[in-house]
Order: sequence, then C-alpha cells, then structure tokens
Amino acid sequence: MTAVTLPAAVPVDRVASPAVRRRGFSPRLVTYLILLIYAAISVYPFAVMVSGALQGDQEIRQGAHLIPQHLTLSTLARTWSDLHFFTYFTNSIEVTGFTTLGVLVIYSLAGYAFGVLRFPGRKALYGLFVALLFVPGITLLLPVVILQGKLNILGTHLGIILPFVNGTAPLSVLLLTNSFRGVPGELRESARCDGAGELRTFWSIYLPSCRPALITIGLLTAIPTWNEYVLTRVSLNDPATYTLPIALQNLNSTLSPQQNVLMAASLIIVLPVVVLFVLLQRYFVNGVQGAVKG
Amino acid sequence: MRSASRGWNGFSPQWTWVGFGNYLDLLFRDPIYAPIVRSAALRTLGVMIAVPALTVAVGFPLAVALNRIRVLRSTFRTLFFLPYVTAGIAVFYAWTYVLQPDGSLNFILSHLGLGTLTQPQGWLGNPATALPTLIVVMSWSAIPVAMILYLTGLQSIDSAVLDAARVDGAGNTRTMTAIIWPLLRPITAAVVMLNMRDALQGFQIFLVMTNGGPGGHTIVLGLEAYNLAFFSGLGPTLGLASALGWILFVVALLLAALNLRLLRRRA
Repeated sequence: MTAVTLPAAVPVDRVASPAVRRRGFSPRLVTYLILLIYAAISVYPFAVMVSGALQGDQEIRQGAHLIPQHLTLSTLARTWSDLHFFTYFTNSIEVTGFTTLGVLVIYSLAGYAFGVLRFPGRKALYGLFVALLFVPGITLLLPVVILQGKLNILGTHLGIILPFVNGTAPLSVLLLTNSFRGVPGELRESARCDGAGELRTFWSIYLPSCRPALITIGLLTAIPTWNEYVLTRVSLNDPATYTLPIALQNLNSTLSPQQNVLMAASLIIVLPVVVLFVLLQRYFVNGVQGAVKG
Repeated sequence: MRSASRGWNGFSPQWTWVGFGNYLDLLFRDPIYAPIVRSAALRTLGVMIAVPALTVAVGFPLAVALNRIRVLRSTFRTLFFLPYVTAGIAVFYAWTYVLQPDGSLNFILSHLGLGTLTQPQGWLGNPATALPTLIVVMSWSAIPVAMILYLTGLQSIDSAVLDAARVDGAGNTRTMTAIIWPLLRPITAAVVMLNMRDALQGFQIFLVMTNGGPGGHTIVLGLEAYNLAFFSGLGPTLGLASALGWILFVVALLLAALNLRLLRRRA
C-alpha cells in the first residue's frame, strides 16, 4: 500500500539539491518524473475501468491485462440495454437535474436576500444557515428518512430531491451571498431609478453578473448528487426508480457479475462527470477554493 | 432529534423514555454495542490523523512540483483533479477490483520483483492491510483539493520575499522550510480541518469497499451509526443510532471551534 504513494511523497526539495545535480539529473526532469508518476496514480482506477469495460467475458477471466487484446464494445452495449442502465441513467439525470434547478432557484433568491436586501434578523438567519455546514450527514439521515415516510414520499424521486436541495443550503447560500454582495450597489440604484422592481433588478442585473458563481454552484451540486449513494440507498426500494450508483450496487450484490460488466457500469457513471469537469473545470476549481475560504 | 433519548425501533407507536441511557449504553453499558463503538472510535481517530497527514505529505510536494513547471501544467492539474470529482461508488469499485487477490496491484508488484509485498488474500481481505489501504484510497481522493489550495497559495506568495531570501543566502531547502511552508500554514490548517471532518463523518468508502469487514476490522463510527439505524432489523437501535449521530455532531463542532481558535491565534 505504501508502494503506491511513495514515489509522489519524495520531498521536492531534493529535486534541486546539489547532490542530485552532481549526479547529472536535471532538476526539471525529476520534477516531471514525479508529476508523471502521480498522474499515473491519479488516473489508474479510470484506466482499469476503461480497460475492463472494453474486454469480453473470456478475456477478463484470464486476469489483469491493462491493455485489452480483443477490444469489444459488446460489454458496454449489453450493460446499457440488457441491464437497463439506460433507465437508471435517465433516473439519475432526472434527480440530478431537478436538484440542481431547485438549488439554483431557491438559493440564488436566498443569497440575494442575504447579500443585498436589508431586513431584521438577517445576520442571525445567515449565521444559522452557515452553521448547518457542521451538521454531519449521518446525524440527519435517520430524521430525513422518517420525514420522507411521514410526507408519503419515501421511495420516490421527490423524496430524495428535497433533502438533496436542502443539504446544499449552507454552502450554496454562503457562496452566492458573497458573490451577490460583490456586485456594486450603484448598479442596483441606477436600475431602481430606471423603474426596475426588486424582481427585475434581481433577474436582469444580479443574476447575469453572478453567472460564474451560479455555474460553480450548479457543478458543486450536480456532481455530488450524481454520485450520491448513502441516502438514495435507504430511500429507494423499487428498482424502476434506481439511480446509477444504486443500480451499480444492486448489480454487484444480486447478480455478482464479472468484472468487465461491473467496470462498464462504473464507466457509464463516471464518464458524464469527467466530461462535465473537463469542459467546466475553471468554475470547479474556483468553487473549491471559494468553499474552503468561506 | 428526540429519538436519541428514546428506546424505539422507528415503527411502533410506543416508545420509552430512557434519558441519557442511550448515550451511556453506547459508550459503556451495552455488552454488544459498547465494545464495537469503542473500537470504532479508536479506528476513526486513526483515520482522522492518518488521512490529513498523508494528504498534506503528498499534496504539498505535488503543488510545489506543479508550480515549478510551465509546460503541461494545466494538463497535469486536470489529471490530478479527476479523483476528486469522480469520488463515489464507481471509482471505489474500480479500486476494489485493483486490490483483489488477482487484481492488478498484486500483478504489478510481482512483476516488479516485489512478490513478497503482494497480498494473497487481497489488500482488503487481510485484516492487517484493510484499514491502511482504505486510508490510502481516502487520501487519494482528498489530495486533489489539497493540491489546488496549496497551488493557489504558492502562486500568491510575493516573489520579492523569495528573492530576498535568496540574496540572504538561503538555499532551496531553507527557503522551503523557513519561508514557504510557514507562509502556507493557514492552508495546511484548512486542509487538515477539512479532512478531519470528512474522516469523522464520511463512511461511504467503508460502506462500499469493505462494509466494515474483514471481521469488523474497518468499522468506523459513521458506518456503525448507519448500520444501527438501517440494518439491524426491528431491534430498538434507532435511539442508539441517533445518539451516535449526535456524538459525531458534537465532536465536529469542537473540531471547528478548535480550528477557528488556532487560525485566530496565528492571525
């Protein structure tokens, strides 16, 4: 286990130390070597996933080939259609889409109220929202499930969408309040002078100026929701409503499939996230920094 | 939640008030759960120390290396960041596959001539290696954020400070230990705090990769609370689960308060 991380853990100071230089290594070369080794460790599980998903039943049984000798798309196709991963995929899109939409609508309004409007109790309420960041998910899991039961939405998509929207409240409110606060007040006043009401000001001045923050919140909501497993597992019990992570777990525990099928199913989950991340990574990195600084 | 002080199975309309009984049962009195909870607490503490330590030990040097290069920097950054965005059941299954007895980690080790290091039972099957292995995988998914934060920190250090140090005759190592590392201490504090919180509360990786096994050697507090709440049939353990949840909450609050104090003192 240590063998995996040791190469990257080599102190970088040594890279440029005289001892190394004397032996004739260029410090730059060593730096690149370290980065390359860690890049390999970073992507290794994905490589395994892709390679497994592209192998047939027979080849996977023979053991660990990272590069498949007989590439085939049949495993992926079989998982997608015969094992109903298409249905689970649409379920996941539905849950993630509505959650993200709910978060953006509700918390941009909340962020506007906290960041721009003046009303009594503003600071206390805001403090309360942000303090919720420290409540562990596991503490709330049981009450949430009992509440779902009382509202008769246990086992439905609505039953998980509502707690998901609720769960992102602290972080979303924090980031959006900060970003609305950063919009110059003169803009608001001039919009007022031109006769714009509160909603109009919000819609055509504040939302467009905070577009990057909104995209960031969208990503920080959508990706964990797409991957969510713990609450979904205890909430949904009808296979027709399963999202991808639960479908994968169910596939593993009930059918005990071969690794190529398991890796194909995993790849179906991971691929959209990777694409989304690569396209929008600028916003993502900003969001992570903002979340920690906040 | 009031259920933390009740004996209740979650379904019957009747419950009995037991006051702080559940908290005491959990920690000391119950012959079945108290020993599990106490050893889970020790393990959780271990994870809370090991994961932040490993994350800083790898994340910081990586950020320094990344900050030294120009060519391919953003490509490397993207690659390094992937583990964070994809963290979830799919990637954990891929890791499980890699760590199996006939998985590729053992395969690679034996082909590198390190056959003695292979784990015939699988890395997650051997009680001695299961928890350390999980700690490495947890750190693997935590390192990206640490690296990004350190990288931002490194880029915001005024180069005049570094030049001044060089003029005063400080070598690379000395600049690193006497100037850069102390300047980035707030980032280290944030990284440590973040990972301690995740280690305290997060149990998804344990649930997916070992479900507490082998033989209960990877049960942590979060996982135990989850199992008490949802997977112990109709036994009256919901109260115990809530109590455990609230204990975790209080510890998290104490951690946050401690962190705030430490940050203030430095400022």
